[in-house]
Amino acid sequence: MAALSAWRVARVTPLGELNAPPRMTGVALRLLVQVVLVASLWHGLYSHTGTTAGLGESQAVTYAVLAVLASRLRELDQFAGRDTVIQHMHFGTIVYWYLRPLPPQRYYALRALGEQVYGFAWALGGYLICLAAGVVEPPGSAAVTGVFLLSLLLGQWVLHYIMLATDQWCFWALRNNSAILIIIFAQNLLSGVYAPLWFFPDWFVTMSSFLPFQATLNVPLSIYIGRIPLSDAAGQLAVQAGWVVVLALFTRFLWRRAALRVVSQGG
Amino acid sequence: MNALRITWRVTRLNFRAQLEYRAEFLLNVAIGAIWQVSVIVFATVLLARFTGMGGWDSSEVLLIPATRMLAHGLFVLLLGRVHFIGRQIQEGRIDIYLMRPMPVHRQVQLSYFPTNALGDLTVAAGLMVGALSRSELDWSAGRISYLVAAVVGGMLLEAALFTALACASLRFPAADYWSRWLEELLGTFGSYPLNVLPRAVGGFLTYALPLAFVAYLPAAVLTGHGHDTGVPYWLAASAPLVGVLAYLGSRLLWRWSLRHYTGVNG
Amino acid sequence: MSGSIEVHGLSRVFHTTVRRPGVAGALRSLVNPERVAKHAVSDITFDVAPGELLALLGPNGAGKSTTIKVLTGILTPTSGEVRVAGVVPYQERERNARNIGAVFGQRTQLWWDLPARESFAILRDIYEVPKAEHAARLKEFDELLDLSSFWDTRVRHLSLGQRVRSDLAAALLHDPQVVFLDEPTIGMDVVVKEQVREFLRHQVEQRGRTVLLTTHDMTEVERLAERVVLINHGRLVLDGSLDEIRRRFGSTWQVRATLADAHTDAVALPGIALLRRDGPQVVFGPDGPEAPTVNSALKAIIERYEVTGVAIDEADLEDVMRNAYAQAGAAA
Repeated sequence: MAALSAWRVARVTPLGELNAPPRMTGVALRLLVQVVLVASLWHGLYSHTGTTAGLGESQAVTYAVLAVLASRLRELDQFAGRDTVIQHMHFGTIVYWYLRPLPPQRYYALRALGEQVYGFAWALGGYLICLAAGVVEPPGSAAVTGVFLLSLLLGQWVLHYIMLATDQWCFWALRNNSAILIIIFAQNLLSGVYAPLWFFPDWFVTMSSFLPFQATLNVPLSIYIGRIPLSDAAGQLAVQAGWVVVLALFTRFLWRRAALRVVSQGG
Repeated sequence: MNALRITWRVTRLNFRAQLEYRAEFLLNVAIGAIWQVSVIVFATVLLARFTGMGGWDSSEVLLIPATRMLAHGLFVLLLGRVHFIGRQIQEGRIDIYLMRPMPVHRQVQLSYFPTNALGDLTVAAGLMVGALSRSELDWSAGRISYLVAAVVGGMLLEAALFTALACASLRFPAADYWSRWLEELLGTFGSYPLNVLPRAVGGFLTYALPLAFVAYLPAAVLTGHGHDTGVPYWLAASAPLVGVLAYLGSRLLWRWSLRHYTGVNG
Repeated sequence: MSGSIEVHGLSRVFHTTVRRPGVAGALRSLVNPERVAKHAVSDITFDVAPGELLALLGPNGAGKSTTIKVLTGILTPTSGEVRVAGVVPYQERERNARNIGAVFGQRTQLWWDLPARESFAILRDIYEVPKAEHAARLKEFDELLDLSSFWDTRVRHLSLGQRVRSDLAAALLHDPQVVFLDEPTIGMDVVVKEQVREFLRHQVEQRGRTVLLTTHDMTEVERLAERVVLINHGRLVLDGSLDEIRRRFGSTWQVRATLADAHTDAVALPGIALLRRDGPQVVFGPDGPEAPTVNSALKAIIERYEVTGVAIDEADLEDVMRNAYAQAGAAA
């Protein structure tokens, strides 16, 4: 029974998307344009430069294209579904989350999981096309693939907690527009979506190593392109796992405080 | 005159409203700074790594993100709320605006005060000062006035793009989906010399999604690269004018779309 | 015990920040906010028997929503005791959740991007309702609310009436003993309103659900509620039948009767005063606090006299409530 409700809740996003074909066309078009633009930009940048910051041209292009694909994993039009925390706070419908025998935190986690799996299907499809078209390089070895997948899983897990914390912020601020914009930007910049972190000055890389963002994308992608050799991967995976634990505890704490807040303010 | 007075009063009220959400306001101010510094780091990082990008030296390239960010900051401060029209349509706010005796576009602009624009502008101005001080160009009165015109034109062009998107949202509320992407595209691809891109891609960013006119083309004209942009020189040089025309066109489109607005959710 | 609502001495105080006027004031509030206490409800006591429909009435801001939020487990009271179907809602929120269903006026709990039927399926699994039972209940609801004509449409495209009907169904699909409805028919057209009332009556009378309803629609109260609780300024003003409210706040009925024999001696009856007499035309009105309702008065008059015609002038419930709110407000 619990599994059934999990399945139902998890498929809300895919179902909503399938019910809106124009939105799916939009995602496909956007993905295509973005990949073409990013790939040509990096090819262009490298046209006068050899290897820089330990990254060759094909490595950089692969990194950048994979970053585009990966950033689509969770970037859906959640607003259209009116099921974000901020909208529930705005419309006063957050009360229903607390009126059901399913705890809000589990509901949220299941929704996120469904989105993740759905987004993964998109990313995987895009990846296979890019691989076939020769836009990205295949991973160096089977071992690299395995470690990359593990690291990607951990990275997405960290990302989930970051997004959760941003949403939880709404329980206090009632609005999180700016928080969301900032998080999106920080996430994109500090995880390497805009440019591989390797290009940044040392102080920047050091600073970002203390933040959870680089664990979401930079680590798995660097493993994929071989910028982080397998011999160093164990340490990086441990850092990712560490972030998962820390953020899990932190967001759990926030859920508890959020419930208290709803219960004392009445949603 | 009356319109100005109302605008000023509503803006003051909006500013006060921003103060109502304490945590949000303080966060806006505090983190806004970090954000902008990161933008600068990002812009300078690539310049340092890829010297001679597209045949430009790095002090010249720096002029592109500086122009683009200043234009963007002004856009957010003065016209940035068009960005949220899609959402306001979905929430039925437009229907309310339509019943009031004030142009809808102005009401949208007055819907809230953009606290973050203050941070944007401060840092953009800093970046511009940095770019100008590193520049080896002779900053004559003519060049400076062209730069000012370019910034204004860039602001208007960005506003035009978002207004056009807002027009689409009036018809198809789902078009709102594209606005975040548009902002992202402007932010990333607006900061490079676009001649590093293949011709087709550069052409796309010039003629289909004209972000080249925001900063790249005027900067090319200023730095003497105006003849190798792949765009006729006269067109590149009239980038500020393109912004003005685009904005006027988008406002006409907006007026037309509003007349044909049929409402959402029946 | 099952399905009852007990509220004893319920109080809830909110602390809010006062904003000072002007930009300078707003800046000062930013640094040094000034807090004040607001008593949303004070010492409210009432109960609802299983299978009863109670209307909770009061002007806007009287404390109705606060009361409902406490009963649904969303809000913790400052003091007092509350039990819903034997469960203290804010202590055992999830256990309470299984016993209750709720609709908050125009706020929908349905998933915006999905057809309403999908929302029903999600809720079925969340509440762990067996499939056969769910299907049977959905069929029953469909017959009463005509859901199948629109349940395959995405919620964002439903009209208000369709959406609220779907929301009602969604709130009742897990067979809750207790149902909270916060202005369920607000903004709906008369046909849909009647359909919803019929549905609610059916749920109370045939299914034995306990319903706590808040509304500003007095026709609804007249059609549905045997008992009402009136609160104002957070305090309980009256707990009784509609007739009692009429007696206390709206004693303004008049019965005009035409006597068959113009020479009959007309006299006052217990609680009924003779107001005017003009040949065969007599006008009766209520007399004193023990005055009967207009219906009982009419019955008494017809039993006592032979009449050829009667007409009733009655203050409608809207007038009565206006009076009640004004008086209760003055008293509080």
